[in-house]
Amino acid sequence: MSADVRQYGELGTQLLLESRRSTQTDTLLKYNDSLVRSIIREQRDLEKSLLSQISKTPENEPPPPAVIIIQTAILRNKRCLLAYHSHRLDRLRDTYWAVGGALPHILSDPDTRSKLSPHEVDYLRSYHSSAMDFRGEFSNELDIMASITVPPKELHVSVKVVKDCGVIQTELGTIDFKKGQRFMVRRADIEHLIVQGYLEEVSGP
Amino acid sequence: MDVDITEPDSPLEQLTRHWINERHAPDILPAQEALLSSILDHLRRQSDAVQLLRGDPSTSDDEHLRITLVQLDIERVKFIVRSYVRTRLFKIEKYARYITSNADIQTRLTAAERDHASRHADLTDRHFNFSVLQSLPEPQRHLDDETPYYMPPMVSAPDVTRPVFVHALVDCPPVVLPDGTRHEMLKGHISLTPFSVVEHLIARGEAELV
Repeated sequence: MSADVRQYGELGTQLLLESRRSTQTDTLLKYNDSLVRSIIREQRDLEKSLLSQISKTPENEPPPPAVIIIQTAILRNKRCLLAYHSHRLDRLRDTYWAVGGALPHILSDPDTRSKLSPHEVDYLRSYHSSAMDFRGEFSNELDIMASITVPPKELHVSVKVVKDCGVIQTELGTIDFKKGQRFMVRRADIEHLIVQGYLEEVSGP
Repeated sequence: MDVDITEPDSPLEQLTRHWINERHAPDILPAQEALLSSILDHLRRQSDAVQLLRGDPSTSDDEHLRITLVQLDIERVKFIVRSYVRTRLFKIEKYARYITSNADIQTRLTAAERDHASRHADLTDRHFNFSVLQSLPEPQRHLDDETPYYMPPMVSAPDVTRPVFVHALVDCPPVVLPDGTRHEMLKGHISLTPFSVVEHLIARGEAELV
């Protein structure tokens, strides 16, 4: 029985702790559906007790202090819920840009996929189409999805094929990248493949 | 005596300055559509010329070397443009809901950026609705609650009071600091001030963020 006694907002704090842990370890944690549901249930109970408190108050009298406490708890829980979801969306967008907007690459990864809620998958799909619309505003010359972490120092890069990735158009013509092979290619042509883990940069000649 | 800066900056120098300013500023700075499109046009012409020369059998080895340098330069300029565009995009997504309700900030965005902001604001709201709000009791379903003073507002807005390092490119007219004192920056001075204090100097190109 005593284990069931909780303070207002305790679950909300747990949810925020998850977000914080996710930031500190720089990983996306699994969507905590059961905790989110519990808080939503708490919100419904709080709303009920709020209404009963108000209905018990005779007219022309100020509401009892309990009303303020309940209202504060409701507001806080709600913000915790939104903060948790918003933090996850930020992380998802970071992941999205880190792989150069290759949505199938994220969604086909079973590990990432298992951590997402169905709504988050929907969100990523809509976000992808919105980002693609924005990208379409620029000429073919400039791909705004490409990497912005390291400024280019050399035109060409020597790469090793880690995973088969099929036939790719490059300035040297089409190349069929097979696992284990090495190539010297133009960075701009294959950068997205490095980002997605198909190719690996080899330092030195 | 150093050289007077009457000579206008090259488009690339301007782009680099806007890029650095944008990365340091807490708010979204005015879009540089004319500059950006002229640079993109230039890049395209250069790439076309490079393609033509590479295909020409009479191009000498020496020229091929120079072509490689031009290509690398093109890639590097593209990198700056991309980083500039993405920096703006990041802020636009962060403040999407604020942007849709603020006419002033909208004037600083391109049409494509405005569209993206409103799409993004709707997208985020929809996600909140499906994941959280629709399961809550009716009175709790809004995204624009009045928040008590101890809570941050529900719509995040750029924090223009954030301190920035500012470098005066010319002798600047005095600015008024938040405590009311006047502060004058001569050419070459670097100060740490709240962004809002020097916003107009940056917009006029009299100072840059560092």
